[in-house]
Amino acid sequence: MTENIGIPFLEGHYSPTLDLWPIEAKEFNRIHTFYDNLKEGKYTTTKCKGCGYISYPPRVICPECYSDNLEWIELPTRGKVITFVEKSIAIPIGFGEPLIDAWIDLGKDSPVRHVFSRVINCESGGIKEGDEVQLVVFDVPGHPIEWRKEKWIAERVYFAFEPVS
Amino acid sequence: MNNINATIIAGGMCKFGVRQASYLDMVQEAAKDCLDDLPGLTPKHIDGLLFSSTFVGRRSCQANTAPVIAERLGIKPTSICARLDVLCAGGSTGILVAKALVESGMAKVVLVVGCEKVYTPELWQIQYDEIAAIDHDWDAPAGIGPPPIWFAAIAKEHMKHYGTTREQLAAVSVINYGHGTTNPKGHFQKALTMQEVLEARDVAAPLGLYDCCPLSDGAAAVIITSEEKAKELSDRPLVYIRGGSQVSLHSVSANWPGEHLGDWAHMKLAAKKAYESTGLKPSDIDVMQVHDCFSISQIVEVEELGFCDKGEGGPFIASGETKIGGKIPTNTDGGLLSVGHPFGATGIRQGVEIMKQLQGRAALQVKGAANALTHNLSGANVEHTIVVYSKEPKK
Repeated sequence: MTENIGIPFLEGHYSPTLDLWPIEAKEFNRIHTFYDNLKEGKYTTTKCKGCGYISYPPRVICPECYSDNLEWIELPTRGKVITFVEKSIAIPIGFGEPLIDAWIDLGKDSPVRHVFSRVINCESGGIKEGDEVQLVVFDVPGHPIEWRKEKWIAERVYFAFEPVS
Repeated sequence: MNNINATIIAGGMCKFGVRQASYLDMVQEAAKDCLDDLPGLTPKHIDGLLFSSTFVGRRSCQANTAPVIAERLGIKPTSICARLDVLCAGGSTGILVAKALVESGMAKVVLVVGCEKVYTPELWQIQYDEIAAIDHDWDAPAGIGPPPIWFAAIAKEHMKHYGTTREQLAAVSVINYGHGTTNPKGHFQKALTMQEVLEARDVAAPLGLYDCCPLSDGAAAVIITSEEKAKELSDRPLVYIRGGSQVSLHSVSANWPGEHLGDWAHMKLAAKKAYESTGLKPSDIDVMQVHDCFSISQIVEVEELGFCDKGEGGPFIASGETKIGGKIPTNTDGGLLSVGHPFGATGIRQGVEIMKQLQGRAALQVKGAANALTHNLSGANVEHTIVVYSKEPKK
């Protein structure tokens, strides 16, 4: 091995091109509030104060009227499984086995009717159509940030759903 | 108003599969096969280059790829030299853009070449890179990057709503693999039995191994030029790029545009636009290539394209209507299931087969074929692209 390696990963460096998770920090993302809310167990999105349109995922402008006067609203944190899939081979790095995903109905009163989400804390064969699931927030690996001569690790969370026990 | 009509005059592909070759090697092989397809055609005839690839930046560490390719192919573009990234529909997009450039008068002879180097030195990256093929911040962390999950959910919903059966899914694979036995450049040349498909291991139930297209390296290339130039360069029957459509209504899966996952409203709209833009209707189409990335995909596609009633795609295919002699021969070269699916090359590979069908020189020829189409979906079913080919331009 030469002294100058030229492969950053072998020298412990981070690259967004090999990061499954969003870059959530406010220095890089204007909808960081979504992730801040997740840390409090809230599932949120943006609503236009002008025309009332609710967007998902959250935006910095309203896609209907292009107003940038938006507010944060809460979404339901429980839903019902419409259909689900289990994958047990060729699972990508970052996911355990089995990888379970479900098309979830958040209810007729929810501004976001459906989400396709990972279901965790669930064994193979552990869910069926019609089951109730709930939001679950979990820690994901942080990443380094260099910003104005300072360096730190940005902590992150993400969300999935889990069976209601 | 200009009166230039774009045509496709030559096409070729490299061998698809697990290749011991770089993306640049395969692009050169495909371009050679394309130019060899029309004796007398040389790189000096070509003034425009469109390159289609999605993962070349991630997997081969190359940005601004078009000049790299132009140089390797001995082409010196003076009208256009650019790369397109529309994932699975990049090749078809290149053909539609080349049509527009030729018909505007800006370009004279455009090489559209697409390539994907899927196999990386370490195999983890093949699945991992799918985090970039879907809406990264919202769908990738849910684990739906690897497409079998999303399409298994579609299959389950189609079964629930319309009574589609496991055997009907398997029929798609049996038929398309059967067509693929005639295509030496496809990934596989292997006839399958219904039993083999049904007994194969699950990838994501109800989809088994043979319900999923393979992971394949590959490249394909075509030449798009004006009707006038085509007559100068070729004695073969003219094949016009008659029209097409490209529809995108959402990206994040939560914004799925259909009533349920078996209802592809965005594809229905793409079909309507493609038929309107060409003055044709489903009964005018003699042969087609559709995006059979999974067996369920082709079942939904024959419905949304209007070849059978909604929900009847399973019985329609199982009864043989997509075979030669059926109502609409489909994926006559083997389709994605048998030929493989190197994303940026697929739409071009489909165009090559359709050109040969309309010129009467396909391996599995549909007698007297005059109108045809190709279809691709992209990503987690977020975009639909249709190209309509014809022996006559739109009147």
